[in-house]
Amino acid sequence: MCKVKKLLVKLLLVLLALFAVTFTVYFFNLDMKLTAAIEPLLQKHYDRIERDTHI
Amino acid sequence: MAKAIGADRLGDFYTNGKVRKRREWRGLADTMYDYSRWLFIMLTLGKFIIKPRNVKAMFRYRWMANYLAVPMMVDRHTQGLRQEYLRIAHIEQDLVVEDVAKLLDSLFRGDRRIGNDKEFSKKVVLVDENEMTAVMMGFPTLKGLSRETVSSYIPVLLNQKAACHYIDVAQEFGLAGDVCPMPEMEAGVSIDDDAPVLGACAIQCNTTCDGSLLGNGVISKRLELEDGIPCFQLAAPLRHREDDVQEYAAQEIRNAIAFIEKHTGEKWDWKYYFECAKRVNFSTAQRLSWLEMSKTDYPQVFGSNLALYTETNYMAICGKVPAFVKADKKISALAERAFRAKKRAAREYRHRAIVWGVQSHFYMDFLVWLLNCWGIVPLTDMLSMVSTKVIAEEDTPENREQAYYDMAWLTENMIMRNRTHGGYKVLLDELWEFCEQFNADMVILWEHMSCKALDGLHGQFEEMSRARGIHLVWVGHDLFDPRVISRQGVRDQVNNYMRTVFREEPIDPSLEILPDEDSW
Repeated sequence: MCKVKKLLVKLLLVLLALFAVTFTVYFFNLDMKLTAAIEPLLQKHYDRIERDTHI
Repeated sequence: MAKAIGADRLGDFYTNGKVRKRREWRGLADTMYDYSRWLFIMLTLGKFIIKPRNVKAMFRYRWMANYLAVPMMVDRHTQGLRQEYLRIAHIEQDLVVEDVAKLLDSLFRGDRRIGNDKEFSKKVVLVDENEMTAVMMGFPTLKGLSRETVSSYIPVLLNQKAACHYIDVAQEFGLAGDVCPMPEMEAGVSIDDDAPVLGACAIQCNTTCDGSLLGNGVISKRLELEDGIPCFQLAAPLRHREDDVQEYAAQEIRNAIAFIEKHTGEKWDWKYYFECAKRVNFSTAQRLSWLEMSKTDYPQVFGSNLALYTETNYMAICGKVPAFVKADKKISALAERAFRAKKRAAREYRHRAIVWGVQSHFYMDFLVWLLNCWGIVPLTDMLSMVSTKVIAEEDTPENREQAYYDMAWLTENMIMRNRTHGGYKVLLDELWEFCEQFNADMVILWEHMSCKALDGLHGQFEEMSRARGIHLVWVGHDLFDPRVISRQGVRDQVNNYMRTVFREEPIDPSLEILPDEDSW
């Protein structure tokens, strides 16, 4: 019983921590701030790709 | 940070960069709801990107970088919304996001450069971006996929500058600079070798304008001569309200179906067609009920969400995806609840507007801005005023013949082209009928400078609005290209009218001038 209780408490703590992290990311728009930083790197990568550009 | 509608200064969220400072606090219940939907979107994107072939596509196609901005697009369209309005917007937006993720996944599965699933590719029929997919309503085992939707149409909704690179590429190869930047971008994607290559055949159409013929010419050459994918040109008649063009239009549908059967080896399935037809009619009935609400003092489903959802549901889905019927039901239930409670989406409604013309695609959330900044309620828009005709839905010998005419009717009355084609009656005269029906006191008239069909009637719009005493606000733009008129340039045209003609002050002054030149 005690083990089950401990497991439940651990599970609850993990869920709370997950909520705290994801809600912080959500509220402060950290996901978009990260992707905005990634985008210019991707653009540089696309510029380097060889393409069969023609009409 | 406020629970009440209109209590936030929404302009304070903007930065000079690509993204906003933070997300809105909408009160506990609405914030938790919005957060749960954000988690859903992240999960949808996560499920998509976990597949190695989709990662490969992310690093191959330039337009894929725009999909980094998906959550922000949803934020833009839910700005300031609370309660039922927030939920309606999420039902619509989240389903569109999910549907587009599936479309991308299917394209990359069959793409010769990425997944190269040859058996799957044999079951794919490529369709245009601005094309009714009615001819796919009788092929349950085939996939009608649009490369242009994911490479051109959606990217500009996500990132206002998404088209610029491809427009420049097209013009480097001699394409004219004054044609519509939408087909020009689509042609640019093809020229830049940036379109997925797959499919047993392709159905192109003339349903948008002469610009779409430009794009189709460039794209079909590459498809047919280099990729070995045969193309059918579905040419719907221009004067689509005339009785004498309907037989020709129906014959075009028969020919398109025969072309698909020939190249895929599949046979038209009437049972599946009539199932889809029932869903088309159901969606039409729901849309009509939302429009009826918008004729009262308590409109519920309106603005950019109505426009985007209708475009997707009417044109791209066309009865083929049951999930949209479920979404229709949920939206109607929420709308009816808010209607009974006489709720409103914003703090103050000052003007009732019909939004007409072709919207600036790089600023689709402008309608949200109209409401929040000036209290202008965008009751409905030209793109949402598509066919309301009930099509035959029972499988009988007579209805099988009628079905060709129904598919032709839907194709002729594709979003936008049902107004920009068909003459002054559908573009000019019916606008004033809608103003009367919806009790509108103003028209926000998008003037897409490259859309000659619409621009030609500029003077007549002015004359007729003056005669009727309806305020007409011109909003010029260049559809996909914010370098010509920026988002602030779009807003300034309304700001000037509201201040000089109406002599009004904005409801939310923080929104009047925004630093979003570099924003996604």
